[in-house]
Amino acid sequence: MTPREETIAVGPTRVEVLIGGAGDPLLVLHGAGGNRGWLRWMDAVAERHTIYAPTHPGFGRSDAADWMEGIDDLARFYLWFLDVMGLSRVHLLGHSIGGWTAAEMATMRPDVLDRLVLVAPTGLKPERGEILDIFYYPPEELFPLTVFDATTIPERERLFGRRPTPDEAEIALRNREMTARLTWKPYMFNPRLPHFLPRVTAPTLLLWGREDRIVPVVCGEQYRRLLPNATLRVLERCGHMPLVEQPDRFAELVLDFLRGGPA
Amino acid sequence: MKLYYFSEMPHHEYPDAEGDKYPSLRLAFPNTFFSPEIAQRNYQRYLDEYDAADQAGFDGLMINEHHSTPSCVNVSANMTAGILARTTRNAKLLILGNILPIQDNPVQMAEQVAMADLISGGRVLSGFVRGVGVESWWANTNPIHNRERFEECHDLIIKCWTTPGPFRWEGKHYHFRHVNPWCLPLQKPHPPIWVPGTASPETAVWAGRMGYTYVPFLVSFEVARELFDFYRQGAAEAGRTVTEDKLGFLICAVTADTKARALEAGRHFVWRMGPTLRGPAEYFSPVGMRSRAASRFALKARSVSLSKMSYEELVESYYIVAGTPDEVVERFARVRRELGIGHLLLEAQESRMDHATTMRSIDLMGKSVIPAMARI
Repeated sequence: MTPREETIAVGPTRVEVLIGGAGDPLLVLHGAGGNRGWLRWMDAVAERHTIYAPTHPGFGRSDAADWMEGIDDLARFYLWFLDVMGLSRVHLLGHSIGGWTAAEMATMRPDVLDRLVLVAPTGLKPERGEILDIFYYPPEELFPLTVFDATTIPERERLFGRRPTPDEAEIALRNREMTARLTWKPYMFNPRLPHFLPRVTAPTLLLWGREDRIVPVVCGEQYRRLLPNATLRVLERCGHMPLVEQPDRFAELVLDFLRGGPA
Repeated sequence: MKLYYFSEMPHHEYPDAEGDKYPSLRLAFPNTFFSPEIAQRNYQRYLDEYDAADQAGFDGLMINEHHSTPSCVNVSANMTAGILARTTRNAKLLILGNILPIQDNPVQMAEQVAMADLISGGRVLSGFVRGVGVESWWANTNPIHNRERFEECHDLIIKCWTTPGPFRWEGKHYHFRHVNPWCLPLQKPHPPIWVPGTASPETAVWAGRMGYTYVPFLVSFEVARELFDFYRQGAAEAGRTVTEDKLGFLICAVTADTKARALEAGRHFVWRMGPTLRGPAEYFSPVGMRSRAASRFALKARSVSLSKMSYEELVESYYIVAGTPDEVVERFARVRRELGIGHLLLEAQESRMDHATTMRSIDLMGKSVIPAMARI
């Protein structure tokens, strides 16, 4: 399907939003790599849900927000976004730093949340191991660490199959800069978040790739213990990007869960 | 033209092949190769050489600071300034410089520089730098904030030196309830400020606007002239006239009794140009540290990496000057003609350049080169 593109002003900050599908609203928050557009998994999920996929401030072609200092700012921003869009209750799905943002939003306003899907979210300090320092690596070295096996990605050609244009390279740099602004220190976690997660009673699905080399699976265990109503599903032969590495399986799990399946 | 002696206090006493195994000597090369015994001797040696440079008549002694690298184990420019303030008599102490963006307490920095200025009898030249990216990693300071923190840290230090306390500072990055340093510089209104540059047009413009002395480090004449143009642009905006006293330049230099010996000694500088600058771009310029304009300028300025140049090319291009005193005078004079500068900073030491060679170079500079350059 073809989504529509809108520019939404949240206060003075305008963000680009992809909107598509029909049904209960699902807000999708992207990871550090930016908004990769309308993805294959979205086609399946959009048959039952209206997907709102904004590009974070400072990312892509959304307005800058140099005043932001952390993911909690982004979380407050998206709660405001929901007000602007007139969405009083949504399902919320976030990947990586988008997952961390979703978790923060859930702790701030549990009432706006129907069901929560966190895909390999950052946000917690791993009990064992470390979250990979993505800023230490040139992007071309980072990509192979991000996925389990790039050759099996169905959308590989469209997403990663050619050299970026100058515009795309500029956007990639912008995405990286804004990620640094939001996550530099403490790197990729909020030491206060674990103390608030027990507030989130919404059914939560935690999805992780067994071979995630960016955010250790142990973080999934930690989220599962801290969230009162959460289930952790670990996908085999999958890295940090289940949404594109296994889009069909991913869509199926998300649809089942949002349909009211067990958390 | 004034000459400054500079030792980066390296710790090059390890097998080079070991360093080659790591992506960079900075950040990545394990400190298991750091030898406290060797460092103890080296510090004494480097400080003795600074003392000798003072006695030889150098106009200034330049001190810098780096972290997590064998290329420079001077980990506190202000600590070294405090030592040299006490052991030297005449030379200016050019701290070039304190790395402002990674400081969490600018008030303490203002106090430390003031104390060195007091102990030295007002000989401090206070350089402020943004630092290479390695320092941001070392301090874990968000590189996105590098320029903002540089400017705010600078503003607070200057206010410490020029505004009677107590006062309150609530900035974006720095917050202090009570600023009232009981240690103020001897020089009024404050020690002269110096700023180095390698690639950032914004820094050059800013330094010009502020009227600070500006010194490009290890760049070609062409790039230095472009940076000086940015500096002049900033100066013009502020209605300032640029005199040669506001412009400096840094190169590596050694002299000896014969050309052959000098060229042999100068070869040691190749390590500093190559291996110590090797590493992923992310180490030296982490995300957000450079503006788009600075990135474009850096790409142009470093179209040929120093590490790719042969020793002969480095000498030919004036990154390294090595020769008899007469030859060195001639080449320094050429630098001055090319750039119209008032200060020439000489990185004049490398740990594998032995003490005797270093001391002979300092001695010959004092006897022949410094007097000759003073006349130019």
